[in-house]
Amino acid sequence: MKEARSARGILLGLAGAGLFVAALDAYLVVTLLPAMLTDVGLTIERFEQATPIVTGFLCGYVIAMPLLGAYSDVRGRTLVYAVCVVVFAMGSAVTATAGSLPWLVAGRVLQGLGGGGLVPLTLALAADLYRDRARTFALGAVSGLQEAGSVFGPIYGATLASAVSSLGGWRFVFWLNVPLAALCAGGLLLAGRKNPALDKTASDQASTLDWKSAGLLGLGLGLLVVALYPDDPTHRATSGLFVPLGILSLLVLALYGWRQLRAVEPLIPRALLRSPRFAGVTVANVLIGAALMVALLDVPILGRLVFNLDQLASGLLLTQFLIGVPVGATLGGIVAGRIGERRTAVLGALLAAAAFIQMSTWQATELALRVGPIRSADLALAACGLGFGIVIAPLAATVLRLTREQHHGLASSLVVLARVLGMLIGLSALTAFGLFRFGQILGTPQLTEPDLRARLEHLDRLVAAAFLQEYREIFTIAAALCIVAALVIFSTVRREPALMANPSLPMGPL
Amino acid sequence: MTRPRATLLAALALISVALNGCGGLQAEDPGKVLRDAGAAMSKLKTVRATLTFTKGTVSFQGYVLTSATAAVRLPADSDTTYKVKYQDLLIGLEVVITGGHVYLRPPFAGFTEVTGKTAAEVPDLAKLFDAASGLPAMIPSGKKLTYIGTEKVADVDSHKIGATYSAVQIAKLLPQLTSTGEVAATIWVGGSDHLIRKALLSGPFGDGGTASTVEIDLSGFGATVAIASPTP
Repeated sequence: MKEARSARGILLGLAGAGLFVAALDAYLVVTLLPAMLTDVGLTIERFEQATPIVTGFLCGYVIAMPLLGAYSDVRGRTLVYAVCVVVFAMGSAVTATAGSLPWLVAGRVLQGLGGGGLVPLTLALAADLYRDRARTFALGAVSGLQEAGSVFGPIYGATLASAVSSLGGWRFVFWLNVPLAALCAGGLLLAGRKNPALDKTASDQASTLDWKSAGLLGLGLGLLVVALYPDDPTHRATSGLFVPLGILSLLVLALYGWRQLRAVEPLIPRALLRSPRFAGVTVANVLIGAALMVALLDVPILGRLVFNLDQLASGLLLTQFLIGVPVGATLGGIVAGRIGERRTAVLGALLAAAAFIQMSTWQATELALRVGPIRSADLALAACGLGFGIVIAPLAATVLRLTREQHHGLASSLVVLARVLGMLIGLSALTAFGLFRFGQILGTPQLTEPDLRARLEHLDRLVAAAFLQEYREIFTIAAALCIVAALVIFSTVRREPALMANPSLPMGPL
Repeated sequence: MTRPRATLLAALALISVALNGCGGLQAEDPGKVLRDAGAAMSKLKTVRATLTFTKGTVSFQGYVLTSATAAVRLPADSDTTYKVKYQDLLIGLEVVITGGHVYLRPPFAGFTEVTGKTAAEVPDLAKLFDAASGLPAMIPSGKKLTYIGTEKVADVDSHKIGATYSAVQIAKLLPQLTSTGEVAATIWVGGSDHLIRKALLSGPFGDGGTASTVEIDLSGFGATVAIASPTP
């Protein structure tokens, strides 16, 4: 009995470790972007071209997530997990060796496809291995690992790249994934042999891989990202083909939705789709994801371009935010038990909004301002992280309450999926807006200093001021997103008896 | 003749035809290849050039240069974007030289004219193709010539020639490219049009005489080139 428990722990530990490594890679590029762009010959004035390095990963993640959970029902968890890890490792190797932007993006998409598949697989594995309360705990632990990986990514990337600058810097960070992935996949395959039940195949009626749906989702999201891509930020905010590509994207995504509604086994069970609380939580998660992206992506870039911090220091600027998230998640769990999930989530979203409002007033000298011994910027970032932490747990718990225990893995996947989708759309839209506003604010300065160095220093000051103004506006938008999320949560997440306590609720197959 | 032997001979004949059909340049006297190249290059009106610094540190106006991409309209107009390291970022500095004036456009900014010492320090890439002092004149005067072989460069069958050039010759090419010693060059010359497609220069021309390597890729011979108008 004890042996079986320990074997299950090893299996889930290995799977969770792989998931954590993949989640780290989602945003570790944020602090590595300047070095990566320099190495592939991209100049700062074409910064928009860096967007696909992040969106490519997120696109892969969003496409793989709904696809591979069902596929592993048919092919077996450990085998599909190993394939995903191999794809992730291949993507890491392609990224590490990339000499040009297209290869860099290709590597990141592969990484995302492999990494995204690990989310539903690890959750499904947790659901397979555990029952009852232990299952809920295991699912919570896996979700926590995914969240922790994604928020710690930027600081991990900056710290590791700085520590191994003589070994290739950012390239080493991606190379390191290969042995880590091999350890996780190899270990899981070996451990899985002792637990053949994990690789059982489902009956003939079971799900098969719905390539068409996956293709439609991928194409729809890809078109949306391209439509939002600022191909000429000095003249327009989005792509020159925004309208036709945007419409095409909506049509393709509508077709995907239509297929899902007609499917025998849709990704999201129909009963859940009918739930206004589920719809509300999903919308709130998308909004929170977009706002979270602002903190994760823009704060290190602000540190680099406005506060003149180096790679490591700009990553470390996020430390207080990153500490705030897990503290908030713990606090959110405790507070939700006393005042309910709705109020807790609303409070969390409003706290994050308040922090963003404070951040929208930041000055170029912000890091010199202190409240007692603490930098005021750190206080705002800690409050922001705390707010996000508080809101994440109750939203996840609400979805879990809407589903029966055997579907908690799927429910947890959907929570992550909605947030990553929000991050993808938020990143694309805010980058487009940000670069356009940057161009508008900066204008076309005429530099007349006789010496080139003096000209560049003058330009540096103008660019920093324009970036600061741009990011202030983006922080204001992030605050608005959090407030809208709070309103959505307030109006849709009602206090109702938990499904488990009231099995007569019309939840269909859930 | 037995059937297997006939098949073998037929296969060899096919391989031979295929090899010749692939362009199959014949080895030539390297001196003649370079003379032909000099003559062909001296007739150019427009050309595009990309210089990539792959080893060592070469500075431009005090900033480390990683590459330069130029559109040249001979005799004296050029539009070059120098990619330089600024702090740890890469920035593009566009330089337009036209009508004897030098204009500079830093990233996000507009063009403004530079004069005096700053203007004098800006390399004029049109001079690289000057018939009297640039590549056309320098290329044939190489020493230690070797015919290395043939290679396709940008889908053109090319002769690959090895040569060395003195520091004085290199300085004549571009005054900003100061070398403290001999520079080894590998030059790819188009077999049919004799135009230089690519050159790899290695020698002590980096900052402080350090060993450096620059790859020069040439294309767009005689094609229309776009040179930005620096005046509003």
